Amino acid sequence: MIYFIIFLAVIVLIILFFVSIYNALIRLRNQVKNAWAQIDVQLKRRHDLIPNLIETVKGYMTHERQIMENITKYRSQAMNAQTVGEKAQAESLLSGALGQLRVQVENYPDLKANQNFLALQEELTATENKISFARQNYNDQVLMYNNKIQMFPSNIVAGMFNFKEEEFFEIKDVAEKEVPKVSFN
Amino acid sequence: MNCPICKEPMIILELNRVEIDYCPVCSGIWLDEGELELLYSIDNTESELKKLFRESSDSKEKSFKCPVCRKKMIKIRFNNTELIIDKCPVNHGLWFNKGELEKVLSAKTNQSSQKVLSLLKEMFSYNKSQEAE
Amino acid sequence: MWELIQSNRRKSLILFFGMGALLILIGYVFGSYYDPEAGGVVGVFFAIVLWVILSALSYFAGSKILLAVSGAKEVTKDVHPQLYNVVEEMKIAAGVPFFPKIYIIDDPAPNAFATGVKPENSAIAVTSGLLSTLNRYELQGVVAHEMSHIVNRDILLMTFAGVMLGVITIMSDIFFRGMYFGGGSRYRSRSSSKSSGQAQVIVMILAIILAILGPVLAQLFYFAISRKREYLADASAARLTRYPEGLANALEKIANSTHKLRSANKVTAPMYIVNPLKREGMKLADLTSTHPPISERIKILRALQQGVSYNDYQRVFEMIHGKKEKIIPDSVLKESIAVTPVIGLTNEDKDFNPIEARREANDAVMKLNDYNFINCKCGVKIKIPPDYNKPIVVCPRCGTRHQLR
Ligand SMILES: [Zn+2]
Ligand SMILES: [Zn+2]
Ligand SMILES: [Zn+2]
Repeated sequence: MIYFIIFLAVIVLIILFFVSIYNALIRLRNQVKNAWAQIDVQLKRRHDLIPNLIETVKGYMTHERQIMENITKYRSQAMNAQTVGEKAQAESLLSGALGQLRVQVENYPDLKANQNFLALQEELTATENKISFARQNYNDQVLMYNNKIQMFPSNIVAGMFNFKEEEFFEIKDVAEKEVPKVSFN
Repeated sequence: MNCPICKEPMIILELNRVEIDYCPVCSGIWLDEGELELLYSIDNTESELKKLFRESSDSKEKSFKCPVCRKKMIKIRFNNTELIIDKCPVNHGLWFNKGELEKVLSAKTNQSSQKVLSLLKEMFSYNKSQEAE
Repeated sequence: MWELIQSNRRKSLILFFGMGALLILIGYVFGSYYDPEAGGVVGVFFAIVLWVILSALSYFAGSKILLAVSGAKEVTKDVHPQLYNVVEEMKIAAGVPFFPKIYIIDDPAPNAFATGVKPENSAIAVTSGLLSTLNRYELQGVVAHEMSHIVNRDILLMTFAGVMLGVITIMSDIFFRGMYFGGGSRYRSRSSSKSSGQAQVIVMILAIILAILGPVLAQLFYFAISRKREYLADASAARLTRYPEGLANALEKIANSTHKLRSANKVTAPMYIVNPLKREGMKLADLTSTHPPISERIKILRALQQGVSYNDYQRVFEMIHGKKEKIIPDSVLKESIAVTPVIGLTNEDKDFNPIEARREANDAVMKLNDYNFINCKCGVKIKIPPDYNKPIVVCPRCGTRHQLR
């Protein structure tokens, strides 16, 4: 009898242990999902800003038709993308084109003095930052989740309930491909 | 801040990062000391503009109170001309009556302060065109 | 993070009872000083009442009181878009669901603090001086530091400690004022026997010692638990921004500023990212300093070259501090994942212009004071004071007549 109770207690303990691992996995997976949603929100926000930006810039910039057309094109590509891969591709092209536009703005002092443009530029900078911070958070969450799935003993629970590793989100940014400048001052 | 002459609240105008206080009633202009400092830092020419002003004790014009500290402003002479403007005794800024700035703007000065003055000219282009009519 | 939050809740409880005990002791001694027979009990009674009322007050309105005392005003996005955006950036970086309220303090001295009981009703307050001196990366560093205080649940503790510290300071103030006006002497002359006279002297000396040491003790008490959380918030900020140099530069700028924060006092000082009372009575300030030395914080941040994870911070801290000490709690280190800093960045924020930053900070203060802003299409920005009473304003550059509400 006493052995049976001990046996039962051990079983219960093991079950509780597995339940807690299961809950931790669920929590991590939800965090990954939330982080992904946040990236999506910010990418949409960037899409919303673009028509306004083009409208403001058009009157000043005369030699940058090509850049502006590219921005519009990549925007609609990103909005109509079917797969994550397509989306990431279009978004990184869009980032690149926006970066080019930003460089050209330096040649237009009148544009840089325009209050509406300055406000838009702040929004655009902030949105780019939010995208990269959202991505950073997403990748951190994915790393923690994937670690949990691979490590013993949580890997057993993950295998039983079909928790699958998530993919990291990498935007191959044109700007980020540049040689990093390190300052030593 | 209220206009030292009509005591009405002044509005603030900003163009190309330069800010001035302006009285819509009498068209007088207040240039704040901090603003003058900013103007110098745009030009990188310390007190070039300041040098153009000399104190003049012989003026008989009515004196006004500084809109910041309410101390009686002193009269200063612009670039050895007949033009007299008001200056706070503890350097809160400069006061230009209507038209005084106009004259300062049209005066021939060295290049660096010209840059500052042309900006002010730009800011009041409509007012000037109205006066011309 | 969860275990850290739990341990901070425990510390809040310890602080709550510790401060209460100190208050009751002070109440007893001060009471006995004024009336040796019944005063002690009355003093304890008043101390308990005060303790309960103030605990409730600091729980339900503590952050509001601290914000009001600091002269902070809540702002919307249009007052200072960059500040609002940076707070949102750090919210996203931290991956948290709550959005702290944003406050600006009209003061040329650069500084910042966070307050609140729960993250859901937390607030971040920065001075206009901070906005006019920091570039975007530096501002991110400061906001990330404050956001970490909120995420780690440090703010409840800080708010609570601030209010308690205030009460003890006020009580000793009242005591000294009472003594100055000769409050206790009335009763002392009544006692006849020599021994009770002696006891009276002892109580008086004890009361004076407590009145002097009470506030210092309370500060030391607070210091004991606040030092580590300053380091931890720095570590979290480096991790959130991936760019420790931003916060390091910001701390340097704040420490080197010659302005003195007007609204800061002994009570609110410990909340700020850099102690605003640093120049007053250096010796005593060193003893009761609520912050680790700023130079050390900067050195650690600058040494985070290879990585900005919690493990890296702990390692670099020991290297610079010269001895082993757990500065990051084990529960946090356990969850620490490798995080590399962004090296592509230099601190050159290309869009940063000191004149413009100062202008935007000034604009923010004007908006706080109900100025009406009009962007004329010709490029002139018109700022109209609240006491301007005409229905229209004419742009002197292009002649556009702007209708006012
Ligand atoms: Zn006037
Ligand atoms: Zn004055
Ligand atoms: Zn206009």
